[in-house]
Amino acid sequence: MSDILNLGLLQNTLRTATPVILAALGVLMTDHVGIMNIGMDGMMLTSAFFAVVGSYYLGSWVGGVAAALIAGLLLGIFFAVFVIKFRSDEFIIGVALNIFAGGLTVFLLRSMFGVKGAFSSPDIVGLPTFSMPWLEKIPVIGPLLNENTLLVYVSWLLVALCWALIYRTPWGFWLRAAGEHPESLRSAGISPEKMKYEASLLCGVFAGLAGAHLSLGYLTMFTENMSASRGFIAVACVIFGASNPPRVFAAALLFGFIDALGMRLQSVGFNSNLTSMAPYVVTVVMMVLVVLRANHRKKKLARA
Amino acid sequence: MDNSGRADAIVRFEHISMQFPTVLANDDISLDIRRGEVFALVGENGAGKSTLMNILYGLYQPTGGALYVKGKKLANHSPGQAIAAGIGMVHQHFMLVPSFTVAQNIMLSREPRRSRFFYDFRAAEARVRDLVREYGLAVEPGARVSQLSVGLQQRVEILKTLNRGADVLILDEPTAVLTPQETDELFEVIRRIVREKQMTVIIITHKLYEVMAISDRVGVMRAGRLVGVHDTRSVNERMLASMMVGREMLFSQLDRADTQGEAAIEVENLQVLDDRGLCAVNGISLSVRRGEILGVAAIEGNGQSELAEAICGLRPLRGGDIRVLGRSIRGQTPGQIRAIGLSHIPEDRLSTGVSTPASISDNLLAGKQRRREFALGGLHLRRRAIHAYAQKIFEKFDIRGAGVDAPAASLSGGNMQKVVVAREFSFDSPVLIVAQPSRGVDIGAMEFIHRCIIEKRNAGCAILLISADLDEVFRLSDRIVTLYEGRVTGRFPAGGIKKADIGYYMTGHRQQEASV
Amino acid sequence: MKKTLQALLALRPKKKLNGEYLLSLGASILAALLVGAVIMLVSGHNPLEGYRAMLHGALGTQRNLGNTLAKSMTLCLTALAMAVAARAGIFNVGGEGQLYLGAIASALVGAALSGMTPWLVVPLCLLAAAAAGGLYAFVPAWLKVRLKVNEVITTIMLNSAAIYFCTFLANGPFKTDERGIASGTAQLDAEFMFPKLIKLSNLTSAIFIAAVLALLVWYVMQRTSVGFELKLTGQNPRFASYMGIKTGRLALVSMVVSGAICGLCGMFEVFGLHKRFVETVSSEFYFDGMLVAMIMRYDPLGIVLMSLFFGVLKIGAMGMETVGIPSETILIVESIIIFFMAAESGISRALREKRARRRARRQSEIMLEKGAGA
Repeated sequence: MSDILNLGLLQNTLRTATPVILAALGVLMTDHVGIMNIGMDGMMLTSAFFAVVGSYYLGSWVGGVAAALIAGLLLGIFFAVFVIKFRSDEFIIGVALNIFAGGLTVFLLRSMFGVKGAFSSPDIVGLPTFSMPWLEKIPVIGPLLNENTLLVYVSWLLVALCWALIYRTPWGFWLRAAGEHPESLRSAGISPEKMKYEASLLCGVFAGLAGAHLSLGYLTMFTENMSASRGFIAVACVIFGASNPPRVFAAALLFGFIDALGMRLQSVGFNSNLTSMAPYVVTVVMMVLVVLRANHRKKKLARA
Repeated sequence: MDNSGRADAIVRFEHISMQFPTVLANDDISLDIRRGEVFALVGENGAGKSTLMNILYGLYQPTGGALYVKGKKLANHSPGQAIAAGIGMVHQHFMLVPSFTVAQNIMLSREPRRSRFFYDFRAAEARVRDLVREYGLAVEPGARVSQLSVGLQQRVEILKTLNRGADVLILDEPTAVLTPQETDELFEVIRRIVREKQMTVIIITHKLYEVMAISDRVGVMRAGRLVGVHDTRSVNERMLASMMVGREMLFSQLDRADTQGEAAIEVENLQVLDDRGLCAVNGISLSVRRGEILGVAAIEGNGQSELAEAICGLRPLRGGDIRVLGRSIRGQTPGQIRAIGLSHIPEDRLSTGVSTPASISDNLLAGKQRRREFALGGLHLRRRAIHAYAQKIFEKFDIRGAGVDAPAASLSGGNMQKVVVAREFSFDSPVLIVAQPSRGVDIGAMEFIHRCIIEKRNAGCAILLISADLDEVFRLSDRIVTLYEGRVTGRFPAGGIKKADIGYYMTGHRQQEASV
Repeated sequence: MKKTLQALLALRPKKKLNGEYLLSLGASILAALLVGAVIMLVSGHNPLEGYRAMLHGALGTQRNLGNTLAKSMTLCLTALAMAVAARAGIFNVGGEGQLYLGAIASALVGAALSGMTPWLVVPLCLLAAAAAGGLYAFVPAWLKVRLKVNEVITTIMLNSAAIYFCTFLANGPFKTDERGIASGTAQLDAEFMFPKLIKLSNLTSAIFIAAVLALLVWYVMQRTSVGFELKLTGQNPRFASYMGIKTGRLALVSMVVSGAICGLCGMFEVFGLHKRFVETVSSEFYFDGMLVAMIMRYDPLGIVLMSLFFGVLKIGAMGMETVGIPSETILIVESIIIFFMAAESGISRALREKRARRRARRQSEIMLEKGAGA
């Protein structure tokens, strides 16, 4: 049993959860203004590709992250213009964005690097890892918190920052008003569309970070479709966490844990495909639980 | 017309026009509003009152004309600029974020900050407390808006506009959702802010006695035009009414046959929950006989909607029982209840009464799609028969629209309601639930619908009529019951109570012991 | 959060196909092909050559034509599956998973009944595929109807779950014993396979079953009282249930039918091409079909025509590879068509409003001038 439940498992949990956390922060931003961004998966994938491009050509991880951010931002603008300006169906745009990202990345992979499937090179600079020697003395927590890549720490910071932004600043109130009752915001003299644009741009930024972590975090390579539905899992986390950053963070960690557990079980001889099912099945179960809990609360309210 | 006194005009409309893709909502309107007056704007639904005010508030840009506030021209202005010019508007549908607190709503877009970045909640609540004290509008700053009554929400709206420094306050149908007591309190507030704070108030309404009670001057709109502006003292309700409809409001006599038969709807000690899980119907018992119309008079939100929905199977019964034609409908689906012999004109036409994207023909066919005359073997649709049928109904009910294949959404409110009436009445059900049949409908269509209802009554149908329009209830009903907070407070035969007195029962101030 | 869910729930087919729409569809396709040409130019290829290669790849030879038709068949069936559920207001994004389950169920039944007469086995396999797909669609449909759990997310999740599950079965308990086969179920008897209509192509007699199926779907949707009830349910469920239509049951049934069609698609792949279940039995076939359905606003006839066009694009893309152009170019072209079409109503609405405003302003200016003159 100790082979399975050990420190490495927790480390893997953090590792797999981080892109989901970052993506979920993006999804929850748009969710607060009333837009469900199902295209997050494609945004992440494209950003991951450009992170590799940036890192490879500029020779530094900063260049990689910058390229990913720009790609994410552009896609965020793209998404926003269609959904907000043209009032297109956000779901159709999301699905189309995913297909577009799949086509674009493979196309560019082939025309820029002349490879199919995956691209890796020693010239791709990964994200730096940090270690704080004073932490090492603390058991479990020490090694767990140490030796992570930059974006892992950034993601924790961003969770707190997003929470403060959404619930403790006027801007956050405008954001939520834009989603919950846009006309009240408009009549207060602030354009809800403006808030929606800003949320979409932030969403793009988070997608960029998620993508950068995906391709420069632990592996320094790009593979076809490497987002592997993590964008969808992020959406599920947002639903499960009711768009509240700390709760969404917890949900993402839970998914990370299940994912890591699956990989661990696989290493002791479990069929990997069976364990890979777990996060998806768990999402469905969780969504059912969310609804059941809400119904239960409603019933209790009715009785009172 | 009285358009003199330009010097003290605080708001001036000059030849304002507003063309929407399908209608001309405002047609060359010129009007001055004076500083420190209460100006009432009256007119039927769709006369263009709200449009004109939305233009003033910067929500719409007029397609023609010019607008001046305090002598300064406002062009292409946003609500933000209107607010800066001192215009405040309380909309018919409140502009409040339900999950925010009172203070958070009032301070929206002018939040006090701490360290430049953070929301200073304490300062916001303190500011709201000051406002409450200053204007005497009591409301708790920390309460969540979703948990306030409608009257209190309206107060929050007024405080919000006052906080934004408004000296011109536009109230769009402010009393539509209020109880008479709340209305009195609102009027008290209006008088006080006009007297003490030199505010200007524009009130949009179609309740004429309110115009007489509160306003200094009144403007009447009809079909997008401003047809007259008068000192309130120089007019009376009757004059205003005929100006609103463009002719003397004379209803023809409705002939009643004496056909009353056995009870067809029996409601016994009924309890029903509303959407929030609260008890909306709390022990109502009533019965409707064949050949009679039972009118339910109640202020919105006193259980009448839930009562109608329960009878039609759209809402589960919590306690008690309902029998339609002698059969209990407990646990039955709307389809099963329809099969017993019940038709229903729902109060919410747009979301329940029709399918707006579907064609008029589809809307008329709905519910009959498996009848042999329209479907071979109940399955294969006979398109020619359906078209002929829809065409026949379309003409018989004089529905004005672009033909039976046009989507229902393209119809005006009155014609859409005719579609609902035509469909429901053509089932030939012996039991009819009729809710708000003439809401948002012009006088002509209303007259037509009333005739249809009386015709059904004379043919021996049992009809339960629910309406917020007391005139309608008095005109059509054979008996009237009043509801207050989900209970029956009074039962009267037609002519057994005066319109002036029934309000006491609708507000729970009086209650009958014995039932009629 | 609640708003978003409501927005998702409001995703119902409300608009119809009309002339104006078809016009902008044509314009979108042209524009997307132009963008594709620019992409080819930029990446150093001749666009004319590229599109010629595409057309040749799709229609140039009997074999290519067969492949295109086979592709169109799959697109058409998956799109119709999407449309059947969408008509009732349910968004079945889970067709991919239903397709996989249908494929493996039919492959397993077929393998188990090896040696028996195809007249018995093939119908049984059809049944198994439909049942597997239908049952798998029933789960999210039931959750949606009974508990109001958002079906878009659940079906997306169930897709991945199903694909992993099928892969697990094909690599684990039901892995074939044959040498040289890394994963996949046991091979089916040759007699079970649908006969090829064009040699060396993927076109098999399954297309006749598909045609009957498509006709049936069209008939039920457009010409029957059940189709009428489905339409009303999708347009306004509140109205439909108020009119006495059993909306919950209709939604369940339409979703199960949708899943069953997807399951059959999987079976056609196995019994037409692969001879066994393999992991690569589909590569997001359902998503392509879904987009065809959305572009054509769930109109069955439109779907059939659009499937043919997308079939040409998809198979033609392979042809483009022969002149060195990555086939993914077509993926990009496709998604651009979709972007344009999704924005179509917004763009044309903006144009219409602008025109109306200008006209109104002109009118009131004339009126003002008249007023000033008087």
